[in-house]
Amino acid sequence: MNRFIKDTKKYWKYTIYAAKSQLKTEVANSYLNWIWWILEPFCFMLIYAFVFGFIFKHKELYYNAYIFVGLAIWDFFNRCIKSSVRMVKRNKAIVSKVYLPKHTLIISDMMVNGFKMLICLAIVVGMLIFYRVPVDLHIIYVIPILITTILFTFGCCCILLHLGVFIEDMSNVINIVLRFVFYLTGIFYNIRSFPEPYRSLILKGNPLALLITDLRDCVLYQTKPDVLWLCIWLGISLLLSMFGIWNIYKNENTYVKVI
Amino acid sequence: MEEYAITVKDLKIRYKSVQAYSIKKSLLRLKGVDTEAFEAVRGISFEVKQGEILGITGKNGSGKSTLLRALANIFSADEGTIDLHGHSVSLLAIGVGFKNEMTGRENIMLSGMLLGFSEKEVQARMDEIIDFAGLGKFIDMPVRTYSSGMYSKLAFSITAILETDIMLIDEVLSVGDEKFKKKSYAKMKSLISQRNRTVVIVSHNLKTLEELCDRVMWMHEGEIVKIGEPKEILKEYKEFMK
Repeated sequence: MNRFIKDTKKYWKYTIYAAKSQLKTEVANSYLNWIWWILEPFCFMLIYAFVFGFIFKHKELYYNAYIFVGLAIWDFFNRCIKSSVRMVKRNKAIVSKVYLPKHTLIISDMMVNGFKMLICLAIVVGMLIFYRVPVDLHIIYVIPILITTILFTFGCCCILLHLGVFIEDMSNVINIVLRFVFYLTGIFYNIRSFPEPYRSLILKGNPLALLITDLRDCVLYQTKPDVLWLCIWLGISLLLSMFGIWNIYKNENTYVKVI
Repeated sequence: MEEYAITVKDLKIRYKSVQAYSIKKSLLRLKGVDTEAFEAVRGISFEVKQGEILGITGKNGSGKSTLLRALANIFSADEGTIDLHGHSVSLLAIGVGFKNEMTGRENIMLSGMLLGFSEKEVQARMDEIIDFAGLGKFIDMPVRTYSSGMYSKLAFSITAILETDIMLIDEVLSVGDEKFKKKSYAKMKSLISQRNRTVVIVSHNLKTLEELCDRVMWMHEGEIVKIGEPKEILKEYKEFMK
């Protein structure tokens, strides 16, 4: 653990610079450049709002903001996971020429996706103002919810980075798993409308469903989130991250021999 | 007492059962994955003094590059130890790791930071690097637009200008066009001749090795055949390769 903190500090500047350059590069190569960061989630929201709000007549309050909250968290998780599977292979040119702790690659990537998530959340704030949603002290729960989201994602990414090196078709498996989780997360509908026992099973067993539902509760509906299960998943995420880092440190020198 | 920059003891590096496998493959072959071990470096020991220039030669597959990468801390030793006595080290190989979508300038910064320099230190030497690489306006274009020659020119310039205590060089003495080759060779000579810099060069170019090195190590199938005076060793090596 000490080594993790020392390495993270040592490579912190590099991590940030790499993330910044990544964002700049994405912008430099497209016509609408940074507008895409807003336009993309916005268009997805319109699609979901049209299909589920207009055609299926969903009756959630502030439905557009409701979708946006879900999309912000889901996109962050989804992008990080997908890229972590091929992380080492993608950075072959670097990792085979110089030593760097492999988790810095994950952190740098999470910064890029986290920045995009923040844009989404900023849009949510804009919507709150637009809809004149009342905001109260429950908003403070946003902090532990986001911390759990980040830790959980980091833990999963560390483990997948390791597996992705050794198992060639890991990305195929992950795509299927992600699609399954996507439908059980309730981006565009309310998990609470599920019949029991599925409802509590999903809300407790799928951390993303829990996190998104909790975030909506405290931001949009001024209610207290499920604190107990939030704490449980925070603990699990911590353990997951610690195991992931330990595992990477133990094996990272063999990665170069495989790729 | 003389100070050592690199001490290698009984170093063994194996490539074993670490090949990637796919789920389909392992399902079809339930017996499990092959555990065939291949030893690329077979228990070698040597020391390099501070300021010394060591040349390594040997036929393809003799473990030279593996050894070099182990010295750069990219591989871990399976057995034995490598002690760099706290010196900073950089591996100069053809095409150091660049991110293709980023510009040359950004890649200089990233590579520099990976070599352990601060943003300020890299920034301070940025112009020197760009000047030496001589890429003109290409320096602000994505690296993917570079020709292979330009790519290696930039790679060479970064490691040549950002100086580390120990330089590991993997066949890089002939980069780019004639003009750059001369320039890089001269630069290499001046870098190498600095007394406190330790250099390990892997090369097949016997002439360069004889010219530049204090000692030469001849490797064959993961073992050291001989280590000593460049003239003697290279003569024997030439005989052997006939």
